[in-house]
Amino acid sequence: MSGTAVALLVFCFIGALQQGLLALTSDGDAGRTLIVFQENRFCPQSSRMPQDYQRTIAKMPGVKDVIPIKVFTNNCRASLDAIVFQGMPAEKLKAWRDINLQSGDLASFANQDDAALVGIDVATRRKLSVGDKFTIGDVSVVVRGVFQSATAAENNLIFTQLEFLQRARGANDVGTVTQLEVHLDDTADPDALAKQIDEEFRTGPVGTTTRTKGMFQADTLADLAELIGFVHWLGYACVGLVLSLVATTTVMSVQDRIREHAVLQTLGLRPLRVFSLVIIESLLLSTLGGIFGVVGSSLLLSSTGMSIAAEGVTIAFEPSLVLAIQGILVAIVVGLLAGLAPGWHASQTEIVPALSQA
Amino acid sequence: MSLVEVMNVTKEYANGEETIRPLDGVSLTVEEGDFVSLMGASGSGKSTLLNLIAGIDLVTSGEIVVADTDITKLSRGKLADWRARHIGYIFQTHNLIPVLTAYENVELPLLLLPMSSAERRKRVEIAMEAVDLTSRASHYPRQMSGGQEQRVGIARAIVANPTLVVADEPTGSLDDETTEQILQLLERVNNELGMTLLMVTHDADAGLRAKRKIRLERGRLLEDGRELQTAKLRTA
Repeated sequence: MSGTAVALLVFCFIGALQQGLLALTSDGDAGRTLIVFQENRFCPQSSRMPQDYQRTIAKMPGVKDVIPIKVFTNNCRASLDAIVFQGMPAEKLKAWRDINLQSGDLASFANQDDAALVGIDVATRRKLSVGDKFTIGDVSVVVRGVFQSATAAENNLIFTQLEFLQRARGANDVGTVTQLEVHLDDTADPDALAKQIDEEFRTGPVGTTTRTKGMFQADTLADLAELIGFVHWLGYACVGLVLSLVATTTVMSVQDRIREHAVLQTLGLRPLRVFSLVIIESLLLSTLGGIFGVVGSSLLLSSTGMSIAAEGVTIAFEPSLVLAIQGILVAIVVGLLAGLAPGWHASQTEIVPALSQA
Repeated sequence: MSLVEVMNVTKEYANGEETIRPLDGVSLTVEEGDFVSLMGASGSGKSTLLNLIAGIDLVTSGEIVVADTDITKLSRGKLADWRARHIGYIFQTHNLIPVLTAYENVELPLLLLPMSSAERRKRVEIAMEAVDLTSRASHYPRQMSGGQEQRVGIARAIVANPTLVVADEPTGSLDDETTEQILQLLERVNNELGMTLLMVTHDADAGLRAKRKIRLERGRLLEDGRELQTAKLRTA
């Protein structure tokens, strides 16, 4: 049962990571928002675009709003504990981020230069609460709020004022941003507008690459996505592992109790009921182990707020009810399959030779 | 009509390339209320015959009719149902289920029959009382002596009020004193409860306690030194 629990725990971890990646690249916002990034740049630290591109883009037909964003991350490579700061104007943050403050308030965030709103997963991991001051990668901030976002990946972000992040670490980057986030109205064609933006700045001081937010995140995480795609096979391997564990345990159990089954048949138990007994045992073993694994992974993922980040984009491990049900269904199906052969063997065993077995 | 009719039964099985025939056209009848002991040397086929009559082994040829049912014609499933209703089996090594209490072991055969829980409880209590183990009802097999385990085995065999109780070397693994207690108990099962009993034993003293003593020698059945007559098959 413990083997099944561990295998299902890994299965759910992989599933949660895949769901996080899927949510990041395909949710509603991913297709109707554009990200303008410096051409041929990947790590946020290396993208430096003039902030006044914002005004030019805002005038284009189909554009509802443009948010200038400065991104700072302490680690551009794939990491399980990368911290990502996003600096943006407080009013834009309020208007465009679907966040719910768990503690603190927006007013004190807006009124203090070095204030930060910390995503709940970062706050949990780093044990941060309102009033705490902390420094990461030479960026020192004071926590003025802890928020929960409707977008799970944002729970791993730290929001600051735009200008504060532009001036952080002794730099003076006022007037430059890492990226521009362009929100479109319902009539705009995202691809056409992306082309129009890149065309507009082709001859400017800094060339741009504009993609939908989903595509930007998919491109940024391409290497990681490939790795996650491979890990997906590990999920199937876990299912195979559960199958072989439960089947082996059931076979051993049937071998151990071949005489007991023969006694039950002598008393009048039909072969079909012996078969059912073995199947039920295998099913219970697998399902209980599965429930432990699924519950364990859900508790672990929701209490630790784990995420993986690369180049300033984070993927949250997203446990969900659907994933939990999938995990338990896998355990049930595997339990049934694993019990078939031993159950058949037990039901067809001849009684007299089985009674004389030690 | 007899309760048990064994007609020209032959049993063969393969042992490598050799065919073993422990029973070769044996016939036997057992009347209702009889207490029959089946004796013979090791390997004489007495347990094989008992298992065939109890419906846990299959004949190679011949017929066995118990309580008007030709059990050689039944499918595996129907044979299991028939055993649940008609046979009480006492094993040499008790064969109690280790994770169940004495009470639950005795109750087991009744769970296979259509019966209310109140009726089941009443029958288990009567059977436990018959073997004088009421005080041990909540004990597990590992907490009991060999003799007590065998008494639970007897209670399990009689609890469903079967047509025939069969016992395969019921005293084979017990000391003399406990053997005597078990034999007295079997006599009571036969005399007081009126159950028909067929007991296999290699112990001559135990065999003498039965009303009828039958020996199995070289595949043939002998009673009082004479071979039992070959019966005609019902379907012949």
